[in-house]
Amino acid sequence: MQVLSTIAFIFITITSMVNLILREWRINAIALAFQYLAAFVLVTLSWPVGMAVIKLIVGWMATTAIAITSLRHRQNNPTTESVASLLFRGLAGLLVILVIFILAPRLQESIFPALDLVIVQGGLMLLGMSLMQLGTSADPYLNIISLLSLLAGFEIIHAALERSTLLTGMLAVVNLGLALAGVYFISQSDAEDGSKEKAP
Amino acid sequence: MTLSTPILWVVFPLIIAAVVLIFHNRMIFGIVVTSTAALGLALLATFFPEDQTLVLGSLVVTFEESLAILGRSITLTYNIMPFISFIFAITGLWTLISGIPGTPKFFRPISLAITALLTAALGVEPFLYAALFIHIAVLASLPMLSPEGKKPHPGILRYLILQTLALPLILLAGWLLSGVEALPSDSPLVVQSAIILGLGFGFWLGVFPFHSWLPMVSQHAHPTVVSHLMFLIPSTIFVFSLNFFDRYTFLRTLHNLESTLSFLGVLMIFLGGIWTAIQDNLKRAFGFTILTEMGFTLLALSLSSQGGLSWMLMLFPGRALGFWLWGYTMSLIEKHNGSMEFKAVQGFAWRYPLLSSGLLLAQLTIAGLPLLAVFPIKLTILTAVLRNGTPLGIWGFIGSLGLFLFTIRLLAVFIKPNNTSNRKTWAVSEKTHEYLPILIMVLILVILGLFPNMIENLTSTLTTFPQLQ
Repeated sequence: MQVLSTIAFIFITITSMVNLILREWRINAIALAFQYLAAFVLVTLSWPVGMAVIKLIVGWMATTAIAITSLRHRQNNPTTESVASLLFRGLAGLLVILVIFILAPRLQESIFPALDLVIVQGGLMLLGMSLMQLGTSADPYLNIISLLSLLAGFEIIHAALERSTLLTGMLAVVNLGLALAGVYFISQSDAEDGSKEKAP
Repeated sequence: MTLSTPILWVVFPLIIAAVVLIFHNRMIFGIVVTSTAALGLALLATFFPEDQTLVLGSLVVTFEESLAILGRSITLTYNIMPFISFIFAITGLWTLISGIPGTPKFFRPISLAITALLTAALGVEPFLYAALFIHIAVLASLPMLSPEGKKPHPGILRYLILQTLALPLILLAGWLLSGVEALPSDSPLVVQSAIILGLGFGFWLGVFPFHSWLPMVSQHAHPTVVSHLMFLIPSTIFVFSLNFFDRYTFLRTLHNLESTLSFLGVLMIFLGGIWTAIQDNLKRAFGFTILTEMGFTLLALSLSSQGGLSWMLMLFPGRALGFWLWGYTMSLIEKHNGSMEFKAVQGFAWRYPLLSSGLLLAQLTIAGLPLLAVFPIKLTILTAVLRNGTPLGIWGFIGSLGLFLFTIRLLAVFIKPNNTSNRKTWAVSEKTHEYLPILIMVLILVILGLFPNMIENLTSTLTTFPQLQ
């Protein structure tokens, strides 16, 4: 289990870095789906698999909803970005990783002594990376992905603190609600772009 | 026959909202059903018997306070009924005017659903789960705040981001607070928990410096929706926040908490007032006015040891009616005029004097003009701050003047003749069904200003929080 949770943490770090650096919606959606898988592994450290799997299913449902909407509404031409901006986000991501590695053991010691370090690190990694991503993008699709990651990070930590069926159900509603908000925003963006194109 | 209060005030309105949502294209049906349901539930909550038994002829209905859901419960007691009655009544008032062209078609069902969710938030046990109900309400509000067919503006994204950031903070703070109860008050964990909790509420309420979405959302969304949501959600959050003060003794006695709250409150009043005064867009100015109003509520909360909690609750009715009048008149002005920039509304009063007067009176009500509803409460709050001997009261007073200054600027713009129009005489272009609600509301605002004790019933909500009496 220790090996599995370490692999999950590495997966979380890689997928969140991918989402921070790259701005290609297909890659972002795939990374988010893998992120939920890794988060599920970390949640199983605190919850029975039967309950933890809810988070995985809900996460994948949310990912599917926004990915399908993007498939229908977003244009296929990938955004071209300068190497400098990719480098900047990459360095920012490395900075977040560094901060998390320094901060997590201290936080675990002072606030979450009953939690495994890998849970604290995994949760904080998602929180930190998604906050950084929120700060570097104003695109609705990326913002929704960041918010879903943020909640996933929080849920990894909170699952170890409290186990409640109602809470799990309501967090599932919140995640799906966020995905629906994303669907609405993406389709609205497309509606305006479409109406502009039609205008003479 | 046995019913539970959560079924009546949470499940029932959600079902009604779902039905109206299905038939969202039938406007009259939607208005009649949502208004009747909201106002009916408000009336029922007002006259809800203390023994929780309702006798209707041969039918005896006994109410239970709790409804169990997945191992937890929603409990709506007799004590919280005045506030529930209030929020359903204002939702009913807003749905009555939702027929104005341009109002999002989902406004009626979603506003009723949001009211039901916020009611659930007030009664859920453990009370921390309220954060989730509130967040679901926020998510439900998004389709109304982001205009249909338009790209989501940065303001709505900021709103969503900041509200979502609040959720983990509140849940985490709740977990921390349950652990620090047993710790000595000088433990660093106590302060850390309070900071996390404060940040959570700061994000939720748009407290400075997390307020940037307020004017942006206000500028882009429909005035009816903005005025309703920006009153309903923060007011419920403020009442929900009382749970923390009620349950955690160390929060009530936390060193510097009152002074921090009053400083933040005055800062928001001052900045909101100044920003409002210099705006050239009517809708954007309202966003900053909301910031000022949040400041006044925070200020009242900070004066809890002097009776501030009662003042906080007594601020709500006058503010709600002021916001309603603002939303109603702005919606009609936008319908008749299109743009809400100062340049565009120049000379508007010559054509629509009653609408213009209604908007000015709404502004003055919110600003706290003597004789109007909010004045007695704002005067009491500012007097209490001044009596405390700090310079904060003066800054609060200056901030309030900003709202008056904006209203005077607006009046000057409204009556300045428009060069493009040939009209040189006053003409009432409004139809009777447009100006009648304005006249009725102005009358109510004046009556509430003259007899502020009429709204004292709302303060009995405080009996829900025994430690805050």
